[in-house]
Amino acid sequence: MKIAISSMENNEHSKVSDRFARSEYFIIYDHDSLSFTSVENTAKSAGSGAGGKAVKILGDLGVEVVLVPELGPKALEALQAFEIKSFQYPREKTVREVLYLYFEKKLPELFNSTSKGRH
Amino acid sequence: MKIAILSGKGGTGKTTLSVNLFSYLDKATLIDTDVEEPNSHLFLKGKLIKEKSVIKHYPKVNDDLCDYCGKCGDFCNFNAIIPTKKKVLVFHDLCHDCGGCSLVCPKNAITYVDKEVGKEFHIQVSENKLFLYGNLTVGEVSGVRIIESLKETTRNEDLLLIDSPPGTSCSTVAAIDGTDYCIICAEATPFGLSDMKMVVELLRAEGRNFGVVVNKCNLGNDEIYHYLEEEKIELLEKIKFDREFASIMADGELLINHSQYFRDKMANIARKVLGDKYDQ
Repeated sequence: MKIAISSMENNEHSKVSDRFARSEYFIIYDHDSLSFTSVENTAKSAGSGAGGKAVKILGDLGVEVVLVPELGPKALEALQAFEIKSFQYPREKTVREVLYLYFEKKLPELFNSTSKGRH
Repeated sequence: MKIAILSGKGGTGKTTLSVNLFSYLDKATLIDTDVEEPNSHLFLKGKLIKEKSVIKHYPKVNDDLCDYCGKCGDFCNFNAIIPTKKKVLVFHDLCHDCGGCSLVCPKNAITYVDKEVGKEFHIQVSENKLFLYGNLTVGEVSGVRIIESLKETTRNEDLLLIDSPPGTSCSTVAAIDGTDYCIICAEATPFGLSDMKMVVELLRAEGRNFGVVVNKCNLGNDEIYHYLEEEKIELLEKIKFDREFASIMADGELLINHSQYFRDKMANIARKVLGDKYDQ
């Protein structure tokens, strides 16, 4: 199972991002191989629709769970279409820390968007 | 002759200039293409003679034909169409109606559906004066379709003034398309000058003739005049800021009906831009 986390930098010791679709990087944790990889988020600079595009990138990578700070309505719709679950993390943590929180089942699952879409 | 009035920065006086110049002339048509925030109609009283719906198209995917190849999503610059595992998501508010997704679809699975994005209003101000404005529906991202519609409706007018949107994005480009002359209504502030430079760049890239009216010329600094001199851009007129002007405008009144100073300024701009035949 692959888990994606919105991150400020390209490694698992980085601070998590306070934005989902316009974060700098996604850190992908593969729970089968216990390894981390990083993906530069090309949706970040999209003029519009970054949410859908970011989810498409993660969906194409086979991600099944995302850990996010906030979630807009379009990103949520796209996550549901890709059958990706989303969980909300608290700010100011590192990628590793929020991943531990996820496995300890301390992160709430999101079923509704947390913010309105931005243009 | 088609003349656009634009500014780059908002609030420099495009609408003030547009509605007063329009009202000053004997015979003219004015369109307010700032469809996100139209306001010329606040100053122009008349009879609503027509209301027209403006339509855009957005894609609809036939799930029986689609094989989820993803080409439509790769093509779309606005992320309005996102192919997922078992369905293709369409965010119609993001769609700019370019038609590209159906062109790249190998299965011909994409057709288009109509959606109203706004309205066009035609107002007869007097026998020789027609005024049109558009209004973009809240939540829609692009007013270009409405601007194109306003310009199509008025394509055969002898003298057309175009009150343009601020900025230098798609909607402004649509507003200045096909114009013979552009009047930049600028402000002598650092912000006003900075935004005006972007407009100059746009107008030069589009090959337009243009000149500048410096509005509120007694505010700000002299930098704008140095810039105009260096770039050899014609300074059409300078109009001062006056609290009395702001007060008249706030009442929804036209300045030319209250100020000889302002009438003289409009006369001079009309003479310079339109030539002697429109001199009054």
